[in-house]
Amino acid sequence: MQTTHKSNPKLDEITDAEFERFKEYFYRKTGIQFENSKRYFVDKRLLQRIHSTGHDSFRSYFTTMRYQASGEELQELINIMTVNETYFFREEYQFECMVENALNEIMRHKKPGEEIRIWSVPSSSGEEPYSIAIYLLEHWAGIDKIDLEIISSDIDSKMLDRCRRGVYSKRSVQHLPNKLLERYFTPVAGNSYKICQDLLDSVSFTQINLSDAAQTRSYRNFDLIFCRNLLIYFDDASRRQAAEVFYDAMNPGGFIFLGHSESMSRISSLFKVRKFAKAMVYQKPQA
Amino acid sequence: MGLKKERKIDISPAEKSSRSSGRNFEGLSQQLQSATSSERRWAARDLAIYPDAVEPLLHALRSETEHPVAIAIFDSLRQIGGETVVNGLLPLLSVEDAFKRNAAIEVLQEMPEGVALHIIELLNDRDSDVRIFAIDILQQLAHPQTPEWLLSVLKDETHINVIATAVDRLAEVGTQEMIPELKALKLRFPNEPYLDFAVQTAIRRIKGD
Repeated sequence: MQTTHKSNPKLDEITDAEFERFKEYFYRKTGIQFENSKRYFVDKRLLQRIHSTGHDSFRSYFTTMRYQASGEELQELINIMTVNETYFFREEYQFECMVENALNEIMRHKKPGEEIRIWSVPSSSGEEPYSIAIYLLEHWAGIDKIDLEIISSDIDSKMLDRCRRGVYSKRSVQHLPNKLLERYFTPVAGNSYKICQDLLDSVSFTQINLSDAAQTRSYRNFDLIFCRNLLIYFDDASRRQAAEVFYDAMNPGGFIFLGHSESMSRISSLFKVRKFAKAMVYQKPQA
Repeated sequence: MGLKKERKIDISPAEKSSRSSGRNFEGLSQQLQSATSSERRWAARDLAIYPDAVEPLLHALRSETEHPVAIAIFDSLRQIGGETVVNGLLPLLSVEDAFKRNAAIEVLQEMPEGVALHIIELLNDRDSDVRIFAIDILQQLAHPQTPEWLLSVLKDETHINVIATAVDRLAEVGTQEMIPELKALKLRFPNEPYLDFAVQTAIRRIKGD
């Protein structure tokens, strides 16, 4: 049930009109749409930022944020409104789309001897690239017919070290079916699980700063890119720059998967939208 | 067949040599006219580090028909920024090509200081479409005078579509002091139900109730 707020005397609440105003602005800037069921979540964080920045009203805070040339405060808001955690098989419907649609379409354009290249960025602690590898081995028959290369990149070298160690908490693997946990992991001390050597060897980890043109230039010929829940943390300029990097890194007809709250159409018109049964993805047009 | 275990991300030598040839300002400027669109796109991207590239980029933009190349040109112009870029993009507000016009609006939205020098002129343009595009620029422009400029539209503008666009934007950025001007519109345009609705919405949002 929607709560109705009428006044704002002690600034302990956001009025309906203020919420609407913020919601529309935030949607326009980020593509994230807050439903009324998220009202409490949004209000709490908005009030937190209003207090932290020393404002005494929504209006004064909103105006400051709206006209701040650096966009710093908007970024703060984005960060606290989009707290994410990563785990194996997160947003599994996208992996389903990968094996049921995207890869089969890519296979049709491959010539004998060519391989499929997949780029997962950011690596974070490695759950995504290893999930891709497991999903391919378990659910894609085409894997017997072609070589696949998985490359995963992150700006943080410590994260890359964690990826290469491949040790995960129980929480991180909780969505994996037991048979896959047994097949690909070994329990280790500290209630953790170590991923098997075969999978560790199947993903190449590299350090990259997506905003550094010199670093990204050599990333080419990818057929699939997973870049989920990263661009939301970038400012507009960096987001556009990342889109340019992905476009030039992809083969024509390649697909890019973004996080569920992210939209490439809001960032760049370089890609076309493809709506499959289980997911919406973005495609680099065929040459 | 299967998951590869070798570690290889380097580009092929052929690609490396083709992209490293002539990658200075003169070479890249020439490559903007290449017959190959990918070469033009890479040239446009790499010119972003040269402040003097504004002229060749704007020149190439006029005749460019491939969207991926044009997007790279706009992006480099955005990165270079400054008054020359603003001056070069403003004429695009009057072109028929909606893609280039919208891309120009998006870039201009991120150049508040440069746009501020021209906004009054744009809001007084003879073409009502250009005046609406000027308001579109204001929608995302991070400049403290934006509400003031929008208010000037309410006072001076006569074209109903331009006024309605300004009212719509004021719903987000308007302040209490603007409410009388908004109410005055209802008297000036008593037979425009859409405007009446837009004004009511704006006032409700501004009051925050």
